[in-house]
Amino acid sequence: MLSYILRRIVATLPVMAIVALFVFSLLYIAPGDPAVVIAGDQASPEDVERIRQSLGLDRPFLVQFGSWVWRILHGDLGTSIFTNLPVSAMIGQRLGPTLSLMIVTLLLTIVVAVPLGVVAAWKAGSLIDRVIMGFAVFGFSLPVFVVGYMLAYIFALELEWLPVQGYTPLTQGFWPWLENLILPAIALGCVYIALVARITRAAMLEVLQQDYIRTAKAKGLGQGGILFIHALKNAAVPIVTVIGIGIALLIGGAVVTESVFAIPGLGRLTIDAILRRDYPVIQGIVLLFSFVYVLVNLMIDVTYTLVDPRIRY
Amino acid sequence: MSEELLRIDDLHVAFSTRRGVVEAVRGVTLTVGAGEMLGLVGESGSGKSVTGFATTRLLDAAGRVTGGKILFRGQDVTKLRGDDLRHLQGAAMSMIFQNPRAALNPIRAIGLQIADAILTHKRISKDAARAEALDLLRAVQIRDPEARMNAYPHELSGGMCQRVMIAIAISCNPALLIADEPTTGLDVTTQKVVMDLLADIAAARGMATILITHDLGLAARYCRRIAVMERGRIVEEASPKILFNAPQHAYTRRLVAASPTATSRIEDLVTEEERERYATVVSKPRQEPAHGTPPLLEVRKLAKRFDQGSAAVADFSMTMAGGESVGLVGESGSGKSTTSRMICRLIDPSEGDIVFDGQSIGHVASRDFHRSRFRKDIQMVFQDPNESLNPRYSAFDCIAHPLMRLDGQRAGDALRKRVEECAERVGLPLDLLPRFPHQLSGGQKARVGIARAIACRPRLLVLDEPTAALDVSVQAVVLQLLDRLRRENDIALLFVSHDLNVVRMLCDRTIVLRNGGIVEQGESRALFDNPKTDYTRKLVEAIPHIETGEVLAAAL
Repeated sequence: MLSYILRRIVATLPVMAIVALFVFSLLYIAPGDPAVVIAGDQASPEDVERIRQSLGLDRPFLVQFGSWVWRILHGDLGTSIFTNLPVSAMIGQRLGPTLSLMIVTLLLTIVVAVPLGVVAAWKAGSLIDRVIMGFAVFGFSLPVFVVGYMLAYIFALELEWLPVQGYTPLTQGFWPWLENLILPAIALGCVYIALVARITRAAMLEVLQQDYIRTAKAKGLGQGGILFIHALKNAAVPIVTVIGIGIALLIGGAVVTESVFAIPGLGRLTIDAILRRDYPVIQGIVLLFSFVYVLVNLMIDVTYTLVDPRIRY
Repeated sequence: MSEELLRIDDLHVAFSTRRGVVEAVRGVTLTVGAGEMLGLVGESGSGKSVTGFATTRLLDAAGRVTGGKILFRGQDVTKLRGDDLRHLQGAAMSMIFQNPRAALNPIRAIGLQIADAILTHKRISKDAARAEALDLLRAVQIRDPEARMNAYPHELSGGMCQRVMIAIAISCNPALLIADEPTTGLDVTTQKVVMDLLADIAAARGMATILITHDLGLAARYCRRIAVMERGRIVEEASPKILFNAPQHAYTRRLVAASPTATSRIEDLVTEEERERYATVVSKPRQEPAHGTPPLLEVRKLAKRFDQGSAAVADFSMTMAGGESVGLVGESGSGKSTTSRMICRLIDPSEGDIVFDGQSIGHVASRDFHRSRFRKDIQMVFQDPNESLNPRYSAFDCIAHPLMRLDGQRAGDALRKRVEECAERVGLPLDLLPRFPHQLSGGQKARVGIARAIACRPRLLVLDEPTAALDVSVQAVVLQLLDRLRRENDIALLFVSHDLNVVRMLCDRTIVLRNGGIVEQGESRALFDNPKTDYTRKLVEAIPHIETGEVLAAAL
């Protein structure tokens, strides 16, 4: 098992290398002279030349790439062109809110979507099933910003139950932290809950038709035991897969959600960096996201072996 | 009869399907005495399993008891609800199923699965339940029970899984056990061991058993009383002796005739009308190949080793002439399927050579063999007609596909004509060609599989248990079809099977395999009548025999 995890980590190196190459090339894929692009419309030729010098853009591409990779391997993601702060520090500041939002959303999704899917499968074809699946379609179809503004309007402005916007770090207390995350998490989780509930239902329906479920019934087991002990664990592989894939969805959704709820997270940093053409920051963020994604995939594969004894690596 | 335990009175069960309500059981009446073993025999769709499921209240959601009573100790089980029902299921009455590996939860250790049943019905601690589970594993004679407690179903053989199922079923000492095809899919020797065990346990615990099976011979061996079902009704109920020697109902007679026995010949399985047409073919003497003709297939010292462990097949040699039929028999794990797959060039041999029509084909990598010109000469018919057909291909596509791939035919009239020819050859009605596998019956699917295999006019057909999933009457027809193909089209048959009665009828020669090596080979009848090795003798003795007498011959 341990050797498998090590092998998998080694196997991610080429993936990360390709991602790094792509991320680095962003600057060159964009049309025009990178220095001119970064300097913006109002820059004088001297400004452009200064940027070119400071970023080392006058050197050959491979040399630049080599020194960039070398710096990254030493933990140096470069310096923001706009704020002159180290990129790693900027990301570090913004990581907390985004991570909080993603974890709360993830937990909310699992706690809500999986039981909904199980109940829908158990009562397949009934009114309950149709209502749950109807909500799932609804959740799929609504964009995050629509749900976000609706929730903020109803629960924050009208009912005044929860704060409208903002973020409080966990260090200032659990409830203040959570209070600010509930609405964004619901908004962000909508699509995700719908997706996971549907997959759970489909996987459970498949499992509930299996012979061993009939055996469980023949033993006289209660409905709860059959659904959660015998069926759900057997249905877990597709569910875990989709939850994992959904984390990519969350990353994308976080960008929008953070704008709607004014959360100072990575999503807003990304937007700001793109608008300012702050290439070192964009590169740093994309690199971080791809790394997280590769890691999540590894975690999914490891989870399989915990769930299903037939899967051995 | 001893004290009455179960009385089923005019039971009707209906299923609501897309095409309306289907009546699966139409007025079944039967009784089971305490401690008695009753055989419930019939072909697929006869309603025998549905009767069993209705009794244990395990019918699918679509199925409903529409009439009649099921009285268990005087109580109508069709009316039980809630806790009463749960006390019935598993505690008073339990069930074991066909395909034991699928009936066990694949990701739960078997010890836990047995303990689940105990904990549901007894108020004892988890440790006590675990100890009882261990005792049960001992009772069903599983070797090394302590270690097996933590095993998962995929780590056990099919026979072992069925023992675990039996352990679960008897865990709460039920008064009635319903065994639904408990040994279908297990090989003959395992079948005998499992059935003997079941019979012993039932006798020792005074447990009544209903043995649901399609195998008349099996029911005859273990039951004193057999009820025969056809299309939702019981058509005859009698002791095995009377049933086989003087079957009263026409259906029973057909069933008895179609069940292959140690002495039956392939033409015995045919009904009167078909027999004449068939006789003309059989009487036509087969052309003996001219002396010195090279054999069609020659296998030399074939061996297969998988990644780790010992050889699955070692030192296997054989020859086959054109139009000859050879049987390959052995228990599961004996390497017969591996051997047949190597000969088909679906997997690569580790050692040895395969010579087909004078050309060595053993060294062509199996993944490249589809480009070999011999691909169309060697075709395969697979075990499960349900799973070996692509559910998205119509019957026509299934048969046409190899013609397009291997014969280079294009879609058009010629292709259609050839497909229809093949369908006619195997007796598949042409109006079924546009249908998809799920719209066909098991026998029809088997015919599609054979039509597909013969479409490119192969010279060697390798058949891996082609009739194992079929009813005896369908099996009879398929066997005749294969025999006719061999006689009329000179197709050589390599027939892999664990059903020795079938092999004896169909094959000129038989090769007995054990642990990947040849134990014995020779002319089929001689080999089975006078086995030279203990292993072959054990295989032969494990076949449930039907005592046939002159009365039966007269009845036909």
